[in-house]
Amino acid sequence: MLEIKKLNVSVEDKHILKDLSLNIGKGEIHAIMGPNGSGKSTIAHTLAGNPNYLVQSGQIEFHNKNLLELDPSDRSLLGLFLAFQYPIELPGVTNATYLKQIVNVHRKKEGLDPIDAGEFLKLLREKSKRLDIPMDMHSRFVNTGFSGGEKKKNEVLQMDLLNPSLVIMDETDSGLDVDALKSTSEAVNQLRSSDRSFIIITHYLRLLEYIEPDFVHVFQDGAIVESGDKSLASRIDQEGYAG
Amino acid sequence: MSEKILNCSLIFSDVIELEGSLTKNKINLKGEQGNFDGSIKLTDSTERLIVNLINKSDFKINLSLNIDVGPNCFLEIRDESNYDNGSEFKIESKLNKDSIFELFRLNKFNPESVNSFNHKIDLSGNCEFRDFNFSNGSQEMNSKTIISLKEKNASYIGSGAVISNSTNAKNELIINHLSKSAKSDCSFKTVSRGKSNITFSGMVFVDKDCSDTESTQISKGLVMDEEARINLIPMLDINNDDVVCAHGAASGKPDENILFYLKSRGISKEDAEKIYIEGFLGEFVDKISNDEMQKKAFNYITSIS
Ligand SMILES: Nc1ncnc2c1ncn2[C@@H]1O[C@H](COP(=O)(O)OP(=O)(O)OP(=O)(O)O)[C@@H](O)[C@H]1O
Ligand SMILES: [Mg+2]
Repeated sequence: MLEIKKLNVSVEDKHILKDLSLNIGKGEIHAIMGPNGSGKSTIAHTLAGNPNYLVQSGQIEFHNKNLLELDPSDRSLLGLFLAFQYPIELPGVTNATYLKQIVNVHRKKEGLDPIDAGEFLKLLREKSKRLDIPMDMHSRFVNTGFSGGEKKKNEVLQMDLLNPSLVIMDETDSGLDVDALKSTSEAVNQLRSSDRSFIIITHYLRLLEYIEPDFVHVFQDGAIVESGDKSLASRIDQEGYAG
Repeated sequence: MSEKILNCSLIFSDVIELEGSLTKNKINLKGEQGNFDGSIKLTDSTERLIVNLINKSDFKINLSLNIDVGPNCFLEIRDESNYDNGSEFKIESKLNKDSIFELFRLNKFNPESVNSFNHKIDLSGNCEFRDFNFSNGSQEMNSKTIISLKEKNASYIGSGAVISNSTNAKNELIINHLSKSAKSDCSFKTVSRGKSNITFSGMVFVDKDCSDTESTQISKGLVMDEEARINLIPMLDINNDDVVCAHGAASGKPDENILFYLKSRGISKEDAEKIYIEGFLGEFVDKISNDEMQKKAFNYITSIS
């Protein structure tokens, strides 16, 4: 469903991704591990269409479409979801209003009417409960003043509300407490299906013990240097990248 | 101050009509073909008077109005009209001891029209003036408010916003602290789009014997397009040391990271900008303590951003 071919990306004139190729099949979970600054978030942002990341060459196909031709909102509507490593604060807009709005743009794409207020509240309650998010967080401004963990949970909640077909989680586990890590993994496992794929960027084995990845890739200096199954993650956890 | 509320409407049509009956309070306005003048005088402190201004005229509205709010009285003026043919308001107000005046203007102007608003207001002891103004601007738009806090514990709270696609708007606010223990709190926000050129100049003057003064003035601008301009000019003339002041002015383009975040959720560029603007302005709708008007202000912003 996602095919990255010989991708070269630069940020602020700095060449970061170097001839990166990666295929993600339907229903697969790929974990990406790699040292700080190796370019993991760069893949995530490039896939989501962040205009600061300039694609110099290469191709990305997503659901048989040229992803690079689509703007960020169309990528989302096509089923791509990025859980940000650093979620953005949006002062002045309450979380509930925002969440409802993003649910509605996706419903519109499906040809559905905007969600009924009561139905949305029910949905929000149910999904928030699962992630242990207190309802009063939704009357605050989006991510504004949220703790690190609350911001991450809010990302997972958005993922859960939008039903994407490709989820990219950029260090969603960093900053989550033990319980939150568990409920996040449960949310991912529940969403796991034969036509939904995940790219999970992480530094820690912990998350991968809950969400068993089909593949693990080691990222270094803008390219994949090693791929394997989940035993690779255990090895890195013990030996580090230099080992 | 009584919580009894009396609602009336002043309708600008061929002549000026007053709907609703008044008791001791007086509204006296005359004129035709858009030229109206007269006064509103409150003496009855047992009721709170709400005056709705409604424009049904085909003419440009030239209004010259004298307002006198008697001791302990409460006046609220709401203007949610559209001024298709332009407007020119001249208002002089006097707030007598312990009175309150709330002025809400949520207007939509015809972008091709010329509009001006001049308000001079004097406040006595313990008076409060609350001034909230939202507008979409117009070809020429001049607004000037001069507030004189003349006695102890007089206070002013106000916010204004201009959200415009094509305007040449000048907003001038002069706050004179002429007594000790007076407060002023002003915020001005503007969103400039297209080829709009919006200026805000805010002057705070504190006279030399005005100790125990509190003054806040924040102006912020959002420049949405290449050719849009915003000019914020804060000025301070403070002649006393016992003054708590918070002043700031900043304008710039929207934060691209926020816009990208919204787009990455499927929201179109246009809607992302709209949400951004609503957030930018929404932050200060909170200043309106009147719930009904707060809601209206919020709806106004949504309709215009
Ligand atoms: N806006 C920018 N300007 C300059 N350099 C940047 C910018 N964004 C990223 N970089 C650089 O690109 C490189 C890759 O960054 P990236 O965020 O992809 O790393 P990462 O693998 O996600 O690291 P971490 O594990 O710390 O999150 C880093 O050297 C980083 O400093
Ligand atoms: Mg990163």
